[in-house]
Order: sequence, then C-alpha cells, then structure tokens
Amino acid sequence: MSFKLTYTQTDLDLTQTLNKPNRWYYVCLILLAFGVAWGAFSWYHQIFSGIGVAGKNNPVGWYLYITTFVFWVGIAHSGTLISAILFLFRVKWRASVYRSAEAVTVFGLATAGLFPLLHMGRVWVFYWTMPYPQMGGLFPNFRSPLIWDVFAISTYLTVSSIFFITGMVPDVAIVRDKVRGWRKKLYSLLAQGWQGTDIQWKHYTSAYVFLAALATPLVISVHSIVSWDFAMSIIPGWHSTIFAPYFVAGAIHSGLAMVILILIPMRNAFRLHAYITAHHLESLAKFLLFTASIVGFAYTIEVFIAWYSGNPWERAIFLYRAFGDYWWTFWALFVCNLFIPQLFWFKKFRRNISFLIIVSIAVTIGMWFERFVIITTSLAHDFDPYSWGLPSLTLTEIGIVIGSFSWFFFLFMIFAKTLPVVSMWEVKEQLEPPKVG
Amino acid sequence: MKNSFNIVAVFSGIDTLLRGIEVLRESGMNNFIVYSPIPHHDIENVLHRKKSPVRIFTLVGAITGFISGWVLTIGSVMNYPLIVGGKPLISVPPFGVIAYILTILFGVLATMIGFLINARFPRLNLDKNYDERFSSDHFGIQIFCDNSEVNKYKEMMTEVGAIEVRNT
Repeated sequence: MSFKLTYTQTDLDLTQTLNKPNRWYYVCLILLAFGVAWGAFSWYHQIFSGIGVAGKNNPVGWYLYITTFVFWVGIAHSGTLISAILFLFRVKWRASVYRSAEAVTVFGLATAGLFPLLHMGRVWVFYWTMPYPQMGGLFPNFRSPLIWDVFAISTYLTVSSIFFITGMVPDVAIVRDKVRGWRKKLYSLLAQGWQGTDIQWKHYTSAYVFLAALATPLVISVHSIVSWDFAMSIIPGWHSTIFAPYFVAGAIHSGLAMVILILIPMRNAFRLHAYITAHHLESLAKFLLFTASIVGFAYTIEVFIAWYSGNPWERAIFLYRAFGDYWWTFWALFVCNLFIPQLFWFKKFRRNISFLIIVSIAVTIGMWFERFVIITTSLAHDFDPYSWGLPSLTLTEIGIVIGSFSWFFFLFMIFAKTLPVVSMWEVKEQLEPPKVG
Repeated sequence: MKNSFNIVAVFSGIDTLLRGIEVLRESGMNNFIVYSPIPHHDIENVLHRKKSPVRIFTLVGAITGFISGWVLTIGSVMNYPLIVGGKPLISVPPFGVIAYILTILFGVLATMIGFLINARFPRLNLDKNYDERFSSDHFGIQIFCDNSEVNKYKEMMTEVGAIEVRNT
C-alpha cells in the first residue's frame, strides 16, 4: 500500500475528525445514553430486588450475562491481534485500521468486565475474587479457572490500555500542536511532553516492539483461559480439549466483524476513504474468511467427536443442540459464522461495502449465538434428566444486555471525537518523507 | 548535555536533515538531538546511538512476574495447606497459568517503566526550543555548544540546507 499523500495533508485529514460534531452525532449519543441508562436501571433493580429477577436459574446458572461476557471478551480480541501481531509481521495495511481496532479492544473489555459484576448476587463483595487472604489467611483457589479468568481479563485490560495509550502519544502531540485554547492544555496533558526527539523515538520504538511481543501471547492465552472456564468442568459439550483454539478463533472472528462494522461508518462519516481504502476492507474480509474457516472446522470436529467418541452424554447434548429447545440458535451459528462468510471467496463480495456490513452483522449475531448455544444448552441438558430445565428470559436481563451494547458504542463515539481514530505517525511512516533535493 | 548555548536548525526535508547530522558528526560534534515527526531508519543509522536499554527492563520485569506467579500460588497453599478436590497442594499446571499471566503483566509494566525512565517521560513542559512544525512535516536539530562555537554551527546548518537557524 502506498498513499499518494503528504505529511501535511495527513495531519489535516486526520485531525479534522476532532472538529465540532454535527447534530446526528449528538442524536446517536443521546440514544446510546438512554440505552446505558436502561442497563443501569436494570442493574439497580436487580441489586435491590435480588438476582432472581434475572432469568437464570438452577440448572442454567450461567445464561445471558456469561454469554454476553464471553461475547465481549471475544470482540475485544481483534484489536490487539490486528495491532500487535500485524505489527510484528510488519503488515503495512495495519496502520490505518489498528487504532480503531485497539479502541474496540479496550471498550470491549470495559464492557466485558462489567458482566462478572452484573452476574454476582452480592456485587458489593466483588473484591473477594482478588488474590489476597480474605478470611483467616485463606487465599482464593488458584486451581480454579475462574481465578485464572480474573488474572487474564484484568491483565488483558491493563496491557491493552497501555498499548492503546502508548501508540497514541505521538498523535496526541500532533493535535496539541494544531489546536489552541483549552484544547491545547488538554492535549498537552495527554501528550505528556512528547517532542519527537531521536532519544524519545529510540526508547519508544523499542518499548513498542516489546509491548507487541508480550501482547501477542496474551491475546492467545486470554480466550483460551475463558474457554477453560467451561472446558475444565465435566459438563457434556464443555469438557473438550478443542475449546481453547476454538474460542480464540471465534473471538478473532467476532472481533474482526465488529472492527469492519465500526470502520465503515467511521470512514464515511469522517471521509477517510484515502486512509481506510477498499484494499483495507478487503484485507479484513479475507481475514474474516480465514477465521470463518477455522471456526467452521471447529464446529465440524465437535460434532464428529461427539459421534466418534461413543460417549452417550456427548452425543445426547449435540442432538439436543441440533433438535432440542434452542435448535434454531444452533443452526443460526452455522449459517451466520460459516456459510455466509464463504461468499468472501469472491472478490465482488469482498469489495461490496453493503455486503461487508451485512456479513459483519451476521457474524456478530452468529458469534453471540455460538456462546449462547455452548453455555445455555449444556447447562439445560446435562447428565441426569432429573436436573434438566430451561431459563426464562426477563426484561432485566434484556435491559442489561442492551445496556452493554449501548455502553460500548457510547464509549466509541466519545473516543471518535476526542482522539485521533487513525494513527497519523504510522500512516506517515508509509509515505515518502519530505525531501528538498 | 546542557551547554551554555542552544542552536536550533529547522529542516523541511529528511535529506537535508541527514546531511546536517553527517556534517555535525564529521566535525566531532555529538552533543545534539534530532526532532522528527516519525522514527526513520536513515536517521537512526546516521546517529549511531546506543541501543535502548528498555529491553533489559522487559526481561527483568518478565522474570520477576514469572517468579511472583509461582511464589503467590505456592506460597498461598503452603501458608494454609488445604486439600481441594483431592488435588496436590502444589498443582503445577494451574499455577503455571498464573505464572504465565504475571510474566506478561510484569513484563509490560516494566517495559513502560523502562520507557518512561529512559525517555525522561512524562514531562509537563516542552523544551523552549521545540517547534510545533516538528510534529507535523519538518525536522530539526538542536545543538548544545559553547559561545565561541555558535557561529560555526549556525553557518554549518545553513550551508547544508536548514530553512531556519536560531540560537537561544
């Protein structure tokens, strides 16, 4: 990729995203704020009425909250993947898309992190999950995957936030040097005294490489650990060695879909066609096709092993998933996550913006259903028919799930108007530097 | 690094900047810093600076995290020996997960600390010789020299193509 742009033009184009927003921005922001308020009120209602107002019950103790938690952790996977792994492989098209992808990661985690709290019956004692001797010198059980999860998610949020903020510092300095008044003071504070000296760049680039190198194995481990929340138990449909790679691939799949869904409207709203080109979107579509194939392979292997293992409970749960109470969600995930993205084998579909949006929405919905199918059906239909049962869908849970989506997009909207959405200094790195001779 | 005089030369192109760095080095002057809107290999190559020590911080942080993970998990079960689910007190695979995560966490935190210390970062005020064009599309050299050398270096920078040379 080579841009036919200059350094000056890049600064002009990419700082205009911070100009005063139009009325549609405020309309969207107010609608999202209503969604957040609905979620907050639902949570308030749940805290004061008791966890029973959520539809989860015995045996389905993990229902929409944990489904949506895993969904948002998955969404959060694209950012660090696109940013860190593509950085280490020196993939040039990364420069235009990674900032938004990293924002998806940070805000996805900020949303996911709420769900373990939302799921708790007594949220005011959430700190019991922290690794300290709570009662009589007794630490949490470090053999429990739930404690690994606390470590993994909090580490991922810390590392992703550091990676996100560090990558942005030189760009914030560009904005600082372009604006005046109170905004100059604000961006001066955020730029932390960045001047672009050779000494700063030397340490910065060195630190950035190591951050990327450390973030990459973290991406792989975080969703593996989330998958072990399930796989370490003996529940049919959960107790599987394929879960870690299956979850990681699924997470990247859903994350890519969300990145495409966010990039396309942003590209149109800010007129960033010279920076987020059809080539970028096509590259993401190819990536999505690749992850769809891995996810499809995992689905097929799961079904095959259920039959081949000869384990009657494993067979029973997969028959239940395909033909039981939630049969349509099972087939929906095959259609949305595997079959529809196969059209990306054809260039005309990869280059079609409307189709990209449709597929990304389908994958996002499909990946939410994937987590729903895994979590709900296995709990609803485990070994003993005596303990089978179904959860009920309540307004409180629906409110909280809608609130989480609103919260995520609300944070992204604020980000889009306060910080540079495309990395200016890395786009400039792709350009021919200004020369006199 | 601080001498009595600072000279700031502003360049509109990377080629003239590189020539400026080369002539300074040829004259035996090494007490200068370069401003650039991007990190560029050509600039690094002509500067011949030492490698960043940030990597040492990363290594030390990662090793500390790895050890901390094992100390936390093994230390907690040895402090309060309680058999859970018939598993051995020191359960290597699950404790390894904690050690793995803390290796990365401490490695990242140490990398950031290393960067902040070495780059003398963050700072509240910009250098008075900093030019706002340096973050956009211009390059610069700031030379630290004695009073007697000011004219020599100013002429040198003008000759190689600096569009503006000033001293403070």
